[in-house]
Amino acid sequence: MKRTIAPKPAAALLVLLLTALSGGGLAAAGTAGKGQAARTSKHAGQGITCVQCHGKAAKKSAVAMQQCLGCHGETKELAARTAQVKPTNPHENRHFGTEADCNRCHHEHMTSENLCLPCHKFNFKVP
Amino acid sequence: MSQEHFQEDKETDQYTKQVIENGLSRRSFLSRAAGGAAAAGLFGLSGLPAVAAGTAKTRDLEVATSSDGGATLSFLPKPKPIRDREIAETLTFDVVVVGAGASGVPAALSAAENGAKVAVIQKAPFALSQGNTGSGVDLATSEKAGVEALVARLIADSNHRCNPKLIRQWAYHSGEAVRWVIDRARQGGSPVVDQGSPVQRAILKVNGYGMGYVTSFFGPKPYTTGDGMRHLAKTAEKAGVRFFYLMPAVQLVQNKAGEVMGVIAKGSNGKYTKFLAKKGVILATGDYQNNKAMSDYFVPDVKHLGRKQLDKTGDGFALAYWAGGVIEPIGHTKMLHDFDAGPASMCDMPFLAVDRKGRRFVNETVEMSLLNNYLRDAENAGHYSQIFDSNYMAQAATWPGKLVPPEGLKNYMPDDPSPKKGVFESQVNTHVADTIEELARKIEADPATLAATVKRYNEVVASGKDSDFGKPADRLIPVVKAPFYGIHRRVRVSAICSGMLVDENHQALNAEGKPIKGLFLIGNLGGGFYGGVDYPLTVFGLSLGRCYTFGYLTGRHVAKL
Repeated sequence: MKRTIAPKPAAALLVLLLTALSGGGLAAAGTAGKGQAARTSKHAGQGITCVQCHGKAAKKSAVAMQQCLGCHGETKELAARTAQVKPTNPHENRHFGTEADCNRCHHEHMTSENLCLPCHKFNFKVP
Repeated sequence: MSQEHFQEDKETDQYTKQVIENGLSRRSFLSRAAGGAAAAGLFGLSGLPAVAAGTAKTRDLEVATSSDGGATLSFLPKPKPIRDREIAETLTFDVVVVGAGASGVPAALSAAENGAKVAVIQKAPFALSQGNTGSGVDLATSEKAGVEALVARLIADSNHRCNPKLIRQWAYHSGEAVRWVIDRARQGGSPVVDQGSPVQRAILKVNGYGMGYVTSFFGPKPYTTGDGMRHLAKTAEKAGVRFFYLMPAVQLVQNKAGEVMGVIAKGSNGKYTKFLAKKGVILATGDYQNNKAMSDYFVPDVKHLGRKQLDKTGDGFALAYWAGGVIEPIGHTKMLHDFDAGPASMCDMPFLAVDRKGRRFVNETVEMSLLNNYLRDAENAGHYSQIFDSNYMAQAATWPGKLVPPEGLKNYMPDDPSPKKGVFESQVNTHVADTIEELARKIEADPATLAATVKRYNEVVASGKDSDFGKPADRLIPVVKAPFYGIHRRVRVSAICSGMLVDENHQALNAEGKPIKGLFLIGNLGGGFYGGVDYPLTVFGLSLGRCYTFGYLTGRHVAKL
């Protein structure tokens, strides 16, 4: 799977800082698409356009998990990177293994949520 | 099966008649058309003329209607036809099982052991199940009259609304099936044990007749039947069963006569695979507790109650409905438990019980499995607490259940630093405090309300008569001596265990009561085994025992077709 974003958190943060400093984020969002959604996009702040996730089809649809993996890397690698998270690894769990759909917790155009919370006391901060 | 007890008459039995008459089916639709994909679009809600398969627009989706035809049911949309060019691969097996759970995995292995070439397609990335205990009747150590007495008890538990034939089928085959599951899971590396009869202590005698049990136990937690089914799947793979994970079934393949020929599944790459089944498709997809609209329709009681499972969206119901199957009438049997907050063995002990705010709300001899009926409002949402004082070991010693001493309760206390064993640490919710007010804060009740409740309860206890709720006098013990204990339980939906109409071969029946060739339904998707408002806890582990038994029997049956 091809990656367009550096996979390591530190490097990703650097990218985020650089794009924020350059002020390119909002400009990119402004030119990327006509929808209001893009204005609340976290990705837009990194210069990523709507089309890169949603495609060029006239009717925009929800982004499949495969799309996330294309940039962020394989699920197993992600699970390995969060192996030390306490109290348990959110990316390798008894319900979905390493294959929980990213979109269940991480939201692009609204506040992310902790899928574990209704049942478990796992107070993860979900970016 | 015990054949001599009832007539295998050709007439439709009462249960089947009732489901056909009042269940959800496509009877009216089928009476007007021969069925099959070719008819798609003819009766679209839009009233537009028929369109060729594959070109219907989203807003023209055909959806199910209620039994009186008055309501359209958006949670049962007709599957969209899938074009041949969208099918990336076609694979052929004898038996295709949809769902790798407590009935699907046994069905697949059983079919393979009986000579079939078997595929399992599973939405999740691995086999999944919940719970720990699965039960069966050990015929060798049971009196025949006892087996029949137990059958009668279970029928009564279902308010006499179940299909007695299925209860008998479980009673006379479950010992063999559960023993088989234990053996095969062990072969896959599972530490499963047979707890036998001792854990079924309340039903060792039924109507005075002696009984023996086979009781599989896949615990202690966090090891559960989910791990057990993953181990069983390893044995199944060795037996030649092929597992296809992350592939939800999206459509049954039917011929013009309505016979089920296979199933189409969608891979995570968006490509479809067509699985052809020469002998039959066995759907074992579980319930629909995470499908809100469907759940609100069939079991409105649980609208405000939490769910213990994820992604149980009723996929099999939609597949089988559109293939001609019949969903049991509205008012499905539900199962709500909390065996995690405190010791399971104390869940039914009739200590003072208070609602979420701290008020007494019930005669506490009502079992935990039924308490959801008192806690289904949005405010309580399944929360309640059991309250007792430090004299509990002596004062409740003769009660049914098994007391855990104070040292053992620490294992269930989130505030206690001692290491936890055999529990889900993130779900324990037992507390101890020196005052009632402090205990109230820990169990998240209102301190003043709980204090008033305890004061009143102690007055009732002192009087020797429960003039508030009528609990028997020997179940009245005071809450006076610190420290005080509280187990904050929160019952959530474990399963919804009503399903779709099947015969004794677990073959789906259509709205005319005729078998749908090639289609079998087991586990919580299968219907007829329950019928009451709630799942009975008469036999501890009945649900998983039923799943194993009907998986075992159906796999063998379909393999031999």
